[in-house]
Amino acid sequence: MSTNPSTSTEPVGSEAPRLVIVGAGPAGMATAITLAERGLAVTVVDQNPHPGGQIYRYPAVTPKSPPTPDRGAALRQHLAEHSDRITVLTGHNVVDIHPGPRLGLCGPDGFRIVEADHLVMAPGAYEYVPPFPGWTLPGVMTPGAAQQLVKSQGVAPGRRVLLAGTGPFLLVVALALHEVGVQVVGIVDTLRRRDAFWQLPSLLSDGKLLKQGFDYVSGVRKAGIPLLTGHIVTRAEGHERLKQVVVAPCDGDWIPNHSRSRPIVVDTLCVGYGFVPRIDLAQLAGCELAPTNLPGGWIPVTDPWGQTSVPGVWAAGDGAGVAGAIVAELAGQLVGLGVASSCGVVSSSEAERSAEPVRERLRQLGRFRRGLDEMGSLRPGLSQLADESTVVCRCEEIRRAEVDAAVSAGSTTLRSLKVATRLGMGPCQGRMCQPACSRRLFDLGCNTPEEIGPPAFRPPLVPLTLGQLAGADEEPDDVEPAGAKPVAEPAP
Amino acid sequence: MTSRGVDVVIAGGGVVGHATAWELARRDIEVLIVDRHLPGRATSASAGGLWPVGEAVGLGCGVIYQATRTGSDSGDAVPASLPAVFRDFLVESNRRFPELAGELEDLTGVDIELDSGPGLLFLMQTARQQAVVDNIARGLPEGFVLEILSPEEVGELEPAVCREIVGGALLPGEDQVNPMMLAEAYKRAALVNGARFQNDRLVDEILRENDRVVGVRMGEETVACGHVVNAAGAWAGQLAATAGITLPVEPVRGQVVLTQALPPLIASCLSTSSCYLAQKRHGEILVGSTTEHVGFDTGVTEEGIRGLCRGAVGAVPALADVGVKRVWAGLRPGTPDEMPILGPVAGVDGYVNVAGGFRTGIVAAPLMARVTAQAIVGETPDVAIAPYRAERFEE
Repeated sequence: MSTNPSTSTEPVGSEAPRLVIVGAGPAGMATAITLAERGLAVTVVDQNPHPGGQIYRYPAVTPKSPPTPDRGAALRQHLAEHSDRITVLTGHNVVDIHPGPRLGLCGPDGFRIVEADHLVMAPGAYEYVPPFPGWTLPGVMTPGAAQQLVKSQGVAPGRRVLLAGTGPFLLVVALALHEVGVQVVGIVDTLRRRDAFWQLPSLLSDGKLLKQGFDYVSGVRKAGIPLLTGHIVTRAEGHERLKQVVVAPCDGDWIPNHSRSRPIVVDTLCVGYGFVPRIDLAQLAGCELAPTNLPGGWIPVTDPWGQTSVPGVWAAGDGAGVAGAIVAELAGQLVGLGVASSCGVVSSSEAERSAEPVRERLRQLGRFRRGLDEMGSLRPGLSQLADESTVVCRCEEIRRAEVDAAVSAGSTTLRSLKVATRLGMGPCQGRMCQPACSRRLFDLGCNTPEEIGPPAFRPPLVPLTLGQLAGADEEPDDVEPAGAKPVAEPAP
Repeated sequence: MTSRGVDVVIAGGGVVGHATAWELARRDIEVLIVDRHLPGRATSASAGGLWPVGEAVGLGCGVIYQATRTGSDSGDAVPASLPAVFRDFLVESNRRFPELAGELEDLTGVDIELDSGPGLLFLMQTARQQAVVDNIARGLPEGFVLEILSPEEVGELEPAVCREIVGGALLPGEDQVNPMMLAEAYKRAALVNGARFQNDRLVDEILRENDRVVGVRMGEETVACGHVVNAAGAWAGQLAATAGITLPVEPVRGQVVLTQALPPLIASCLSTSSCYLAQKRHGEILVGSTTEHVGFDTGVTEEGIRGLCRGAVGAVPALADVGVKRVWAGLRPGTPDEMPILGPVAGVDGYVNVAGGFRTGIVAAPLMARVTAQAIVGETPDVAIAPYRAERFEE
């Protein structure tokens, strides 16, 4: 490409580098702001109508939404202040990534190709929900989906809602639902109080965050929402629609004591056991992945600046390992410094200097995070909830018994299970079923995570028609350098 | 570290490797299959077309290959035929599928999804193509059927097909399977018969002592064996080289497009000079396939996918509004004469090829595997393997 993008920057070298960030959550926004502050023009691509990501989704539910100060609004404000350098393409999805990197994008105006010198992937994470009896009933959803209904569409997910799973996000969503008048009948957390106690030394490493946690808990108490710790939802019941949820106390391995189970009548269950990093972009970009013991398992391998094994391709935020919004924002700053340094607009010593306080803060947060991760780390009981007839792959309607039969016949990797059962062959490409499935293969002692393998994502990442692909990019001129055409983003 | 030896090591776990493993294991030969998944294996990107005559006379994906090779306008590409001996090989291999499907299902419970429709239907877009197809029809020996259909007859058979064609050429009995299930069924059948499967290793080197194979090396580990079967697909040439054998196998990339699952739309396997289409058991339509010499690059390209989608929408206009579920690519094991490479190699005892399946690897797999096993145990082969020996390239 010889097109020289006209921008207001004066970077070193004859041509402005073409910088593309995918994802406008905390990591993507922080990267964009860091780069813009260093005089670089960037294009941010996001599927939502507004920047913010899942955590800082716009508009916020209510102004009094406690106890987080609206960090999202502050980041959006910074983005807007740099609108001369930051172009935000909202409503755009990445379809494919070709070497270069060249991104296939699908937006309101159709399909197009965008070339980049540096690509920063900040796609975030999605919720982890392993299969359990009744989980496919209408009325069962993730806490994130419920939050999105309330925030984006002003729709209450139900009348009587139970939240279940693990982690502080349950408390956040419970409060958000309570505020719009939804009756939250309780929060069921697998974590036992004594498990939390052992993590206190880590959690005390960050008083501010710990206080925030306590504020959530006291907010929940004040709202009169019962918090049931050391319990697990073992099944959802109803005919064509959720009628009740069965809850049982569980031990430290999250194995339920069925003899003490009891029903709770609700019309909505919001269930989530933490988050799975989105690795589809990294995989299409050809980045090396490594297994972890967190939900989803696989994350891109990066250097200390967030650069992946593919030069010019960077990863930041929860997509590079789930650690929450605050860490994501700091990681975005680091990647921004790394990219700026690669582009030659800051010297490496200056990048190091600017990075040092960020890294120091990340180190502090790291201790706190490890405590949280340890508390929320998945236990074997979770992958034993599904019974023989439970659907484990919703797209292809594959039941646990079919998967078990294939496993006994020797299909002990995600790839061979897919061949044998069609698990993961549907539109979601295994996003929903494969993290839980690989966890179960691991718990069954079939294979190591390396052997079980990551899900294999293939383009297109979002639905496109043959007609769109047949007509796509007819003229080579359609290829546009990122940042060439600034699009006015209405101030949020 | 050296492990206990085995009779035969099979290097490669695609459809051909697993099929050969089964044919050996059921003859009480001790077999170790060695395979680690590498992206791009041809089995994973095959349409599963069983088009023996279609491929032999060049009306399957061969015509696309021809169009690419000659650089001619794909709308007017003219097919080239493979030797009659190989056509008969493919026909014989294809004939075995119905019985094989039953046998494998009884043994393993795996359904290879052998589906019969009207046949392989080549859509003729120009008068020149029609002339060539007429010529092919005249050249086929007694017993072969190639029906020439008018555009109206094509419309009756396949209402979804575009009417702006000169006509159709139908090869009845040319059907399809699910190539992944075929490979899986063969693998399980081999395991049932006592074969072992090492799924996380590659054969890095074939070990020789003078003029005989003595084992294989997989990373740090070596395994002694009496025979090594090279079933390494597009990688067969690289593997052969470790034993000092020159094998002219080259990766030929094929990009494919898979639609979302649809209600029955096309009953035949359709072929044009820019793509072929087969609706699979679960409703998805597989559109293939580019033929590109790009080394071991398994990526998809904008041009490649665009060409296939245009071809598909040109043949079946209703596909324009159909969603694409996935696009990906596989590497066919290409050979200079488009025929497989089978059997032993002079001067290297214990080394056996079952390689070079190119664009007919699925339909040829049953017979390729069978004659390979027969050669190893010393049975009279069902079909002579002389035309397929690697030595043919030395002349």
